[in-house]
Amino acid sequence: MVEKKGPVDTSHLYEGKVVRSSAPSRKRAAGNIKRDTEIPMDAVPEVFVPSWIETIFGGPIVTKTEFLPPDRMVTSLQIRASISLLILCFLTFMITPVSGTVWFSLSNILGITFLGTIFHLGLIMIGLVGGFYGLFQRDQRALLASYVALMIVTIRFAGSKVEFGLSFMPEGEFSQKLLLILYAIILVMYIEVSSGIIRFSMLDTSIRKGEVYVMNVNKITNRYGRALTVTPVVAGLVASLTLFINLIVPFFVGIFDPVSANRLRESVELTSVYGVALGTMLVFIVIAAMFAINLPLRIQQYMESRN
Amino acid sequence: MAWSRKSAMFASLSIAMYLLGLVLRNQQLVTVAVVLLSFLTWAALRTAHGDVSSSGRRIEDNQLDEGVQLQNIVAMRKVSTSRVFEDGEIDVVVRLQNRSNIAKVIEVRDRVPEVMRIKKGANYVLMEIGPQRETEISYTIEAPLRGFYTIGPVCIRVQDEFGLFHNEKEIQLYDDYLVFPKMEDIKDAMIKSRVPKIFTGAVAIRNPGEGSNFFNLREYLPGDPMRKVNWKATARQDGKMMVNEFERDAVSDVVLIVDSREVSETGPVSRNSLVFSTRAAASLSQYFLSRRDSVGLVVYGDEIVSVDRDTGKKQLYILLTKLAGAMAKGNTPLKIVTNRIMPHINRGSPIIIMSPLEDDPTIVDAVRDLRSRSFEVTILSPSSLEFEFDARRLDRTGYEVLKTERDIMISELRGLGANVMDWEPDMLLTTALAGARGF
Repeated sequence: MVEKKGPVDTSHLYEGKVVRSSAPSRKRAAGNIKRDTEIPMDAVPEVFVPSWIETIFGGPIVTKTEFLPPDRMVTSLQIRASISLLILCFLTFMITPVSGTVWFSLSNILGITFLGTIFHLGLIMIGLVGGFYGLFQRDQRALLASYVALMIVTIRFAGSKVEFGLSFMPEGEFSQKLLLILYAIILVMYIEVSSGIIRFSMLDTSIRKGEVYVMNVNKITNRYGRALTVTPVVAGLVASLTLFINLIVPFFVGIFDPVSANRLRESVELTSVYGVALGTMLVFIVIAAMFAINLPLRIQQYMESRN
Repeated sequence: MAWSRKSAMFASLSIAMYLLGLVLRNQQLVTVAVVLLSFLTWAALRTAHGDVSSSGRRIEDNQLDEGVQLQNIVAMRKVSTSRVFEDGEIDVVVRLQNRSNIAKVIEVRDRVPEVMRIKKGANYVLMEIGPQRETEISYTIEAPLRGFYTIGPVCIRVQDEFGLFHNEKEIQLYDDYLVFPKMEDIKDAMIKSRVPKIFTGAVAIRNPGEGSNFFNLREYLPGDPMRKVNWKATARQDGKMMVNEFERDAVSDVVLIVDSREVSETGPVSRNSLVFSTRAAASLSQYFLSRRDSVGLVVYGDEIVSVDRDTGKKQLYILLTKLAGAMAKGNTPLKIVTNRIMPHINRGSPIIIMSPLEDDPTIVDAVRDLRSRSFEVTILSPSSLEFEFDARRLDRTGYEVLKTERDIMISELRGLGANVMDWEPDMLLTTALAGARGF
């Protein structure tokens, strides 16, 4: 066994090579080739010509991978993702009204008001159907279309106030915000679990093709399962801190000055989206400070050295 | 800590949604953005790292790029052999130790040269390794092509469960190995041939055979030529016919010339003139050295590399090493090679040239010079035309034209008294040698 600075070998002689170019003497044959002489298929190099969308993104958007039939892990992820997709589409339909959207304005201008609603529902349906197709066919393009559709549908001018698409939805601020957090978590989880399907399918295919060997596969999948449970809770907590800043800030201010706290509690700005922005800023200042003092490293060092 | 495409996409998406949410006063968008950011932050926190602190300095001097999580992973490798012939196998065992007190999920890839084939096991493993535990990865690689190769480094990666961030470490652990050209046993073919001796030379060895010095007397056997009968001895033996045996003249010097010009690599990587030439040179070296002959080697491409004539196993190893490292480069003409080596070789010594006989206008002149100085010239010419035609890189018309050119060249060389063998793919070396005149 030798330890040295870098590799010195002749492997570069062969790497990436399949067939060398013809010898220079072959040029002499050029004069003998007629117009109708067929060019051998092997002589034409394979060139990847990206589509116009791919040229915008600078490469293939999604890889074209052939998967083997799903294993148990992938199937369970497909079921999880399907459930979250169903809930997500239902929540999107409930909490995202058509009012404030571009298509709503356009349909009003055209005088065909129901067109906006149809388009709105159409987007949700694309998200739903595309998502299901993508999940079970493990088609990354369909999944991408589903993500885009479900995000586009939320882009609307909302006028600061939480507004829902259905009249029977809760009116209370607390429950409204909780519903929003639930929606956001499910959206993120749907994106994560569906991409997890592709990731685990790739892994499973690689395992079965012998490209990779996995030791303790159950432990690895269990870790992923655990992370899928813990992460939404953490993300939900952080989101709650930011969204409920209009309650948290007055609480602390109230310790010193109850009147100011009351004013803050009733402040429109603090309950609006700008209050959320303030909350985000405060929460992420704390997180940034954690990273600035290298807290993750210190935690890690502590854990590594612990007996 | 490195970001994956997914995390970069998540981050940009969340920032875009956040800003859009503020512009449109849409709490829904802002909430999604906050959840996405929290998701990312949590993953980053879990992929604990030795990142650059806010001051721009690392917290500890010995902190490497890969972060603390990978610092306690140690790898050791054991290879079954460092020298192997083409198509041979090497067993590799990589031992991994986790010297920290926490379990880790790591991806390990022991980098193997691309041209090698993994025959058994895997060099890419995903595993959970417990605290203060060690584990072994074993795999077998097959070496299909000659050359100098290196296994390593061992790449280790740790990433969060969602594949958002990862830390990587390359353990600078290398093992070199050498793949010699495959050898074909040509001994049997020689024994079966009509004339057991290949070439006559200057050095006599103490064995009966074809030669000029008297060695022994023995009884006549059917098939012995009458000119070998010793009549005086026959008369003394009361009519029992006796024949003279001569001491075999062994080959003193055999010089192998391998053409490793750029043109010799025409054709598929595993089937081209250079591959065939090196295999033939290796087989012939082994054969001649086993007969206690002295073998020298000249490999020419962009430069002329020569190995002085010598005998023995050590010489075989030296020759095989040179052949393993022969690279297709340059376009040195054969004439320059022959001019350089001719003064150093004994007259009458056999010279075996392995060349595709392409793109060198000096070949005929070079062979003429050698023949005029009484060298026994044998040319083994792996036909690159056949390689290219088989690989469908050449159409029928082009092939026919070039084949005719080649046949003319071979005829011309034969006319000069050289033994030329047009060595086609799939033809065994023994067959090719048997086809050459004088074998």
